[in-house]
Amino acid sequence: MPTRTFEAHVRQHLPRVAVIDLQGEINSFAEASLSAAYAEAEQHNPQAILLNFSQVEYINSTGIALIVTLLAKARKSHIRLLTCGLSEHYVEIFNITRLADFMSVYPDESTALAARAQEAEA
Amino acid sequence: MSYPVDPNATPMPAAATSAPQTETAETVETVEIIETVGAAPQVSATPGSRDAAYWAKQSAHLKVSAAPGNQVNNVDGRSAVGPLQGFGKMWQKTYRLRLVGCSATPAEVIAAWKENFPKFWPRGNRFYVPLTGIAPGEVAMLTVRPGGMPLSTGVLVLYADDESFTLMTPQGHMFAGWITFSAYRKDDVTIAQAQVLMRANDPIYEVGLRLGGHHAEDKFWKQTLRAVGAHFNVTDEPVESENLCVDPRLRWSYAGNIVHNAAIRTTLLGPTRWFRKA
Repeated sequence: MPTRTFEAHVRQHLPRVAVIDLQGEINSFAEASLSAAYAEAEQHNPQAILLNFSQVEYINSTGIALIVTLLAKARKSHIRLLTCGLSEHYVEIFNITRLADFMSVYPDESTALAARAQEAEA
Repeated sequence: MSYPVDPNATPMPAAATSAPQTETAETVETVEIIETVGAAPQVSATPGSRDAAYWAKQSAHLKVSAAPGNQVNNVDGRSAVGPLQGFGKMWQKTYRLRLVGCSATPAEVIAAWKENFPKFWPRGNRFYVPLTGIAPGEVAMLTVRPGGMPLSTGVLVLYADDESFTLMTPQGHMFAGWITFSAYRKDDVTIAQAQVLMRANDPIYEVGLRLGGHHAEDKFWKQTLRAVGAHFNVTDEPVESENLCVDPRLRWSYAGNIVHNAAIRTTLLGPTRWFRKA
């Protein structure tokens, strides 16, 4: 059953990479918080935004749709959207829904940031 | 698990536009069609994920066990496609009906919706319920008549829990995307909702959507919601709708989706089903 327990916090990490730490359950109740966090991250003028799912307990199909709309916003602004901390189950969900076709998926934050730093150097 | 998955796609500039609207109730026309076909569900069972049973399991290609009534099977062997894999503008369409005066809980509404899914569709359209009903991983065939022309396609049940379920379309469908049916409580009223996140699958469908297809789809889901309302004796409430253009850009890299166009295939292969029948 959907609950309202969701939080999103923005951190500035590497130059031009913003990290959004997601916590709790991503369902219809997460929409406002998620949009607000994305808007805050965008204000840092990042080249990439990393969505950190390591504290996410649950995502339903509405939550996946919210992530799709974030992805559309990111691509509008030419911002790369990266993900990390997805459980094996949600990596599979990202593959089923084919979100993974459009978002780089990394096991953890350090791997994601290292990959991003390499890309930036290249 | 495979990391990283490195995407390779074109940019999507967008400008969101919103067009909320409401409409008055109209006569509800539904047909009673319950046909059961299909294979056993494939349910994800990753340990440790409490929602694992709600999601379909990953499968490269869709498969229905039989094409009912010798319908053209435009589903077997296709992949499911999300709103990111289509060609046209990306739309989020939301239709809501307040079930005022109805004491049914969201779970009861969704249970009834799953059980009566074909009955709630507008007349002339058919949804072939799989043997085990609306369950994660099930693949259902359907026939719709956009513009009066029969079109056989299908859907994958991507997600289903007690208060929502989501259908994902295959290649060749009119649109690439998801339809989520849900119910929730707001201001002490249960609200039934259908939300479509989609883009036309190919250029032909995009033209069709612009030439009346969007209007027809709005009408389709409004009628469906009114049928849901009628099931719960709610007949006077208007269906609210909101159409949001999430991404106005056409994705030309997906123009080749036209090779799977189910409308073309149904038109070309439809007559041959009579020979197959014989």
